[in-house]
Amino acid sequence: MRKRRNPNAVKIALFLTPVLVLFTAFFVYPFVFTFVASLTRWRGIGAMRFIGFANFGKLLGDPTFRLAIRNNVIWALASGFVQVPLAALVALILAREPRGWKALRTIYFLPNVISTVALAMVWSALYNPQYGAFNAIRGLIGLAPRNYLGDPATALVSVIIQGVLYIGYFMIIILAAAMSIPRELYEAAEIDGATTLQQEFRITIPMLRGTLVTAITLAMAYGMRHFESTYLMTGGGPAYATTTMGIDLFNKMDALRYSEASAAGVILILLGTLVIVGIRKALGKGDPMAEAGQ
Amino acid sequence: MRRTKGFTAVATSILKWAVLVFFLLVALLPLCWLVLNSLKTNLELQTSPFAFPARPAFENYANAMAMANLPRLFLNSIIVAVGTVFLNLLVSSMAGFVLAREEWRGRDAVRTALEAGVLVPIIAFMVPYFTLVTKLGLYDKLYTLILVYAAINIPVSIFLITSFMRAIPKELEEAAIIDGCGFFQRYARVILPLSRSGLVTAGTFCFIYAWNEFVMAMLLTSSLSSRTIQLGIRFFTSQFITDYAGMFAAIVISMAPSVIGYVFLHNKIIAGLTAGAVKG
Repeated sequence: MRKRRNPNAVKIALFLTPVLVLFTAFFVYPFVFTFVASLTRWRGIGAMRFIGFANFGKLLGDPTFRLAIRNNVIWALASGFVQVPLAALVALILAREPRGWKALRTIYFLPNVISTVALAMVWSALYNPQYGAFNAIRGLIGLAPRNYLGDPATALVSVIIQGVLYIGYFMIIILAAAMSIPRELYEAAEIDGATTLQQEFRITIPMLRGTLVTAITLAMAYGMRHFESTYLMTGGGPAYATTTMGIDLFNKMDALRYSEASAAGVILILLGTLVIVGIRKALGKGDPMAEAGQ
Repeated sequence: MRRTKGFTAVATSILKWAVLVFFLLVALLPLCWLVLNSLKTNLELQTSPFAFPARPAFENYANAMAMANLPRLFLNSIIVAVGTVFLNLLVSSMAGFVLAREEWRGRDAVRTALEAGVLVPIIAFMVPYFTLVTKLGLYDKLYTLILVYAAINIPVSIFLITSFMRAIPKELEEAAIIDGCGFFQRYARVILPLSRSGLVTAGTFCFIYAWNEFVMAMLLTSSLSSRTIQLGIRFFTSQFITDYAGMFAAIVISMAPSVIGYVFLHNKIIAGLTAGAVKG
């Protein structure tokens, strides 16, 4: 039986048009454009000249871009396997509704509504060798000041710590899923004499598998595209120690190397997709609804 | 058995609260330190990093407002954020209405494609965004940021609004049809008011995004008349490198709208974030 044509077809098209125009202009067109531009020689003006995959060869041979890929991989691993486990730990504690859990949940998420610019400036100040709080603490216990963000040995770790300690977003997702697990399961386990820890490992974590996979996938995808807080705190320095693909893309664009910047964009998109597909292959499917929820 | 459980219970409890307090400090201490520093003199910043100021130096706030064109940038940000919310909710609610309440071929495919937009790394699009905007003569305009931010938020808003509209019982709409409501009236008089809660959530996300966004604003604007407060506080450091206290005050001012909004709307925001997680 074929569906009858909706009598409102014209009105439906009318209502969809604004979203489709914007989506095409800012999602579909940029996507296609980036792939096309990556195969050309082009400096932003004049015609694009097709040169095949030369930009990719150049990029992958560029030590700075390789460092950027490495740093993004480190970001992805830190986000997926440090940030998400910490978020899960806090979520499991809050799911048992300790005193003040709602207020704590609200406060843990607070930094997520503050701009990356503001947080990056505050953390730059905290790390500052002259007046920063961390060095003031070092001074109190008689240690020499350290230039955390200015020293290639500590810069990457310093920006990553700033990023992974803000667990709010993943904590909220995991907490909501943990609280939807039926209470009866825990009551039954209690009667059987299972300790809290056993309950978490035997009931909560297996029940949360899909949500955790989703959280790890999203965290790693965000790690692969990490740009903003590092750009704001170190600009990718010192000596490219903290650079990422996004920062390299931005620098190339600033130097009018548009086609190479586009190739960097293609690699960024492909590696991000690879992470999402790879995680799902390795850990199984996540929770598609939660993924769409951003 | 009771005895061993008593010991582990105490140990777990201590560990549990240690974790909770640690993350409480992570969330709050940098912000407290920021507010405290914004009330110190520059001399106090250098000499007594942890002490309270002798007297709260509210003049830092006046200085910040006067020096960095902060009022103008603040107003620009308000215009951009409100404009983004309005444009995004208008187009997303129209699309959401036909995606949730009408039946047509290809509907699920369109919805999936729009929602899949959340997985796209927007920073990979710096080159095409910049070229598109300059080619269309939209460079360095306040309304360009509204357009770009509203577009970037389409996937999230479509997801939130469509799931909300789908949950509205069919009977309410049928009653309206019997009463003679046409297509547009069903949208404006029935579905839109009933999905107010979803619209507020989506609008809050838009506002926070637009208020906080930095990269595209940096890329697509250059003059004071179209720059936002995030760019203002970012470049405050280079302009007034010696006035750290004024810089801290400017940061506090820049955070005020989203923090105040969060205080009032945190339940909506958290519910919006978990809309996906719980359903799945």
